[in-house]
This record gives sequence, structure tokens and C-alpha cells, in this order.
Amino acid sequence: MSNTKKLALQAILVAAALALSYIERFIPLQMVIPLPGVKLGLANIVSLFALYFLGWRSAFVILILRCVLGAVFGGGVTALMFSLTGGLLSMAVMAVTRYVPFFSVYGASLCGAAAHNIGQIIVAVITLNSIYIVAYLPFLLLVGLVTGMLTGAAASACFAALIAAGQRPFDKGARHPDKG
Amino acid sequence: MEKNLRLKFRPGDLIAAAAIAILAGAVAIAFFTTRSSGPAEAEIRQNGELIATVPLSEDTEFEIGGTYHNTVTVKDGEIAITSSDCPGEDCVLSGWRSTAGQSIVCLPNLVEIRIVAAEGSNDQGVDGVTG
Repeated sequence: MSNTKKLALQAILVAAALALSYIERFIPLQMVIPLPGVKLGLANIVSLFALYFLGWRSAFVILILRCVLGAVFGGGVTALMFSLTGGLLSMAVMAVTRYVPFFSVYGASLCGAAAHNIGQIIVAVITLNSIYIVAYLPFLLLVGLVTGMLTGAAASACFAALIAAGQRPFDKGARHPDKG
Repeated sequence: MEKNLRLKFRPGDLIAAAAIAILAGAVAIAFFTTRSSGPAEAEIRQNGELIATVPLSEDTEFEIGGTYHNTVTVKDGEIAITSSDCPGEDCVLSGWRSTAGQSIVCLPNLVEIRIVAAEGSNDQGVDGVTG
């Protein structure tokens, strides 16, 4: 894949992730689950796609860009701190699970969701200077199991459709099962 | 190729889910069982001045002087004015108190017994402070 095409694709993925994270704010998940900061995390579908089809380097770049731009468009510095910490930790964990044959997309998504929640709780504890925020973590983790499954299912369906349409993973650099 | 992208469930997924659930349980246990109310103390004020701080953990009995006399008893983690020679004896009728924030007052003797959480207990007034 040419560099230009890859660049364009990454840009589109950043836009898609931003759009998804914007739209999902309109879903009143907090009416069902009364926890602050609980989200579906639909943008992680894009993260998973980038991770599985473009490789971890592109995935990290897209993640950082969508966190920064998301904070610029609405959220501010605190939003940036939370989403970046949660996102980086999540992507690191997902990158490991992606290249370990033990896990499928679902496992990657579950671990990513859990890591994201842990990262955000850590930031919350540091910024609010209160260890008691960790009390939220069990609930967030359990909700993350559900949202992780949903995101994983969406990613899985999306990947299957793409492959059926002839799409193949693009990153040639990493030595992983998809090569060849 | 489809198999290599691992689109279907694998045993690792179940283990990941179980590990996350166990982690959630462990944090919940760690956080929701050690947060019982800490040792309480009673601050005794007369005429607005703090004259004594009494831990409710030790049974004791003492008297507060002044215009009138209040006999204060601490027993089984609770405190009460058990007898008083003030008119009305509202303080005695207040009975036993043990929870932080509660008070027993003897107006004629200008006495207030206020129960507070002890220093370093988990029962802080606020959950967190920003800025």
C-alpha cells in the first residue's frame, strides 16, 4: 500500500473515530447504568480495525490524534488527560493481545476496555487526590465486559465483511500470523 | 486469512473475561469491607471552649462541673449524660449517642458533647478536594 494511500486511510479513520465518539454521547447510557463516565466506546471499533489491518504503529498514531482532536473540539485538557491515559493503556494492552494467538478480537476488546477503565481511574485518583474513586472500578470493569463484547462483536462483523469484500490487512512489517 | 484474524471466540477470551471479573470482585472486596466507621471520639465543650476529648472506645465515667453538674458515662462505644442536677434534665433524656455528627447538649450548664470521627479514620467529611 502506498504511503499516500495509507496516510489518507489513517486520516479517514481518525475522522471516523471522532464521529463515533461524538455520536455515542447522544445515547443515554447513564439512564441504564448510573455511573459517571460510562460509555459504549464505539471509537474502539476503529482502534481495533487499525490495530488488526494497519498494525500497532498506525493504531497508536490514530489513537493519539483522535484523543487530541477530540479534546480540541470539545472537552478541554481534563478530557484529554483522561482519554489519552485510558486510550494509551488500552491500546498497549490490545496490541499485546492482538499479537498473542491466545486471544481473539473479543479478547482484545475486553482487555482494551478493562485497561481503558483502569487508566481513567488512575488519572481520576491522581487529579482528585482521593483513593476512594477506586470504588468505581469494579462497576466500570463489569460494564466494560459488556461494552467490550459489543465492540468486539461489531469489530468482528466489520472485519468479516471487509474480508469477504476482498480487503486484506495492510501492514507488512510486523511478523504475525496475518503475513503471508 | 480469516482464521488468522481471529474473529471467533477463543479460550483466551473467557480467561480474560474471568480475570477482569475477578479483579472487579477483588477491588470491590478491598474497598467495601474495610471502610467501616472509624473510632469515634466525643469533644466536650463548655461555654464554647473545648475542655476534653474522650475516645468512645474506653468505658469511663466522669463529671462536668460548672453551674450544674453533669455525669457523663462512656460505655460500649456510646456516650450519654447519665445524671444531671440541671432543671429539666433534657440532656439526660437525650440518651445514648455514638455516631459522628450527633450531639448531647445541656443548655443550663453550657455543655455540648459532640461526637466526631477520630483523626485518621476513614470517615472523612469530603470525598475529595480539587484545585
